[in-house]
This record gives sequence, C-alpha cells and structure tokens, in this order.
Amino acid sequence: LLSVLEFYIISSITMLSTVSRQLRSHPALIPLFIFIGGGCTMSLTYLGRLALRNPDVCWDKKNNPEPWNKLGPNDQYKFYAVNMDYSKLKKDRPDF
Amino acid sequence: MAHPTQLGFKDAAMPVMEELLHFHDHALMIVLLISTLVLYIITAMVSTKLTNKYILDSQEIEIVWTILPAVILVLIALPSLRILYLMDEINDPHLTIKAMGHQWYWSYEYTDYENLGFDSYMVPTQDLAPGQFRLLETDHRMVVPMESPVRVLVSAEDVLHSWAVPSLGVKMDAVPGRLNQAAFIASRPGVFYGQCSEICGANHSFMPIVVEAVPLEHFENWSSLMLEDA
Repeated sequence: LLSVLEFYIISSITMLSTVSRQLRSHPALIPLFIFIGGGCTMSLTYLGRLALRNPDVCWDKKNNPEPWNKLGPNDQYKFYAVNMDYSKLKKDRPDF
Repeated sequence: MAHPTQLGFKDAAMPVMEELLHFHDHALMIVLLISTLVLYIITAMVSTKLTNKYILDSQEIEIVWTILPAVILVLIALPSLRILYLMDEINDPHLTIKAMGHQWYWSYEYTDYENLGFDSYMVPTQDLAPGQFRLLETDHRMVVPMESPVRVLVSAEDVLHSWAVPSLGVKMDAVPGRLNQAAFIASRPGVFYGQCSEICGANHSFMPIVVEAVPLEHFENWSSLMLEDA
C-alpha cells in the first residue's frame, strides 16, 4: 500500500516538473492553466456543496433518512439569492 | 400577441421576462460581434496577396486570445446565472391557481377562498368571431389580477403536457402525479396567449392557454360571476 502511494506521489511530482519546464519556454500557456484550473475548481466546489448541503441528498440512512422533510422557511438552499430576503418569511404551512 | 413577421420574443408582461429579453439582447450582441470579426478575418485572409512563411509561434497573441474569450464568457455567464436564480424565486404569492392538463384541454381551479373550477377548450376555427385568433382562443380564459404575484401549480391528469405562456416567461411541464410550481406577476393588463408545449396526442396543437390580466375589482366581479354560473 505504501509503495502505491509513493508511486503516485513520485509520478505527480515528475509530471509537475515536466510541465513547469515546458511552461518556461511557452509562457503563453500560463493563462490557460489559470482559467482551466479555476473552472475545474469552481465546478468541483459546487458539486461538493451540492453533495453536502443539498437537502435532497441522503448520506446517513440510519440517523438522517429524509433530510428533505426538515426544510424551514428561513433557510436559503439555493446558491445565490437575488431578491429574496429569507429572514422575512414566516412558516404558514401545517406541521405533519 | 405576436405580430406578423415577428422574429424576436413577444413583448414581456413580467419583470423576469424583461430580464430574459435584455440578457438575450446582450448575448446576441456578443455573438454577432464575434461572428462579424471572424467573417472579416476570413475574407481578409482569403483575398490578400501577402504571404509570410517564417512565423512559427508567438507568445503575446496566444496570451491575448486565451484571456479575451475567457473574459467574454465570464461576462455572459454572470448575468445568465443571476437570471437563473431570479427565475426560481417565489415571492409570497397573493393567489394560487391550479392548472391541470387533460387530453386535450386545460382546467383551472381557484381554490384559495371558494371552490372555483372550470375547463378551457379551444374555440374551433369555424366558431371564431371576427378579430379572434385561430388556434389560440379559448372559451374560458384564466383571469388573474394584475400586478399581483400569482403562483400556478401545474399538473396533468393523464399524459405529459406543458403550460407555457411566453409573454409571462412561464413554461412548466405538467407531469401526472407531480406538482410543479411556477410564479409570475402580470405587470400590465392584457390578454396573453400560449400553447401546450409537450406532445400529448392527436390534439396537442389544439389546446391553447389564454391568461387575462385585469384590475383587482374586475377579477373579483369575474370570479363571483363564474361561481354563480358553476
């Protein structure tokens, strides 16, 4: 198991050093890395946010089986609220 | 209502639809600018007598044409995401209407205070009065008070339908066994037409939707009249 880890670490370091050496002779590729890297980071972060915060996702079947039943009127579940002030809403639905 | 030879969207009757129109203009302008530039470059390349065989690469132009498209895409993406989240906001509606799709008509239920429900069939072409629109008029219109947020719960009784009114920026699929919610505010009084937007059988093209936005007193008179008739 340790040798598999060492293999991955060494191969990634070699890849990084090769790429940075090639980048020095072609610096125009640096913005490309920045934009693609930024895009991948943003997508993966949003996926992670959806996985952890979305009430439709159930990780723990024993302790929290149906998180979509615990929605409150004051919580913001969407990523970005343009015009909505969620703190002003009241709960006017019956409990069940 | 669309006018003849219309190419763009219908006039908006809803604030979110206006935002969509402006965003469409913004994105289309960017697309047209880029296309014109590319076309110009192509004609310039094809019709020139200059030849340069010794340029192999250039770092500066590569930087420019990596950063500039990324910036343009960000400029398109930010308003787009804002409108996307704006469209999902439901701001405390004053009225809830249920629109149920059947084969091949819509039925509307206003059950907030009294039990008002009616069916809305298309007016056949041979029964149209002069000045009415073919395949778009219905016998009973869905009347809503203007300038009030309205929530429409859309569902179907048999097969898939879709409740769509372009001027109000609403299109919501009617799935049997599922309630979908759409919301709109009619900012001006008027009559807004739409058609069923999911194939549902032989008369799919013949089940239109007509929404009539009127001032609140007229809406109250209309609903009392409809309750007496029913």
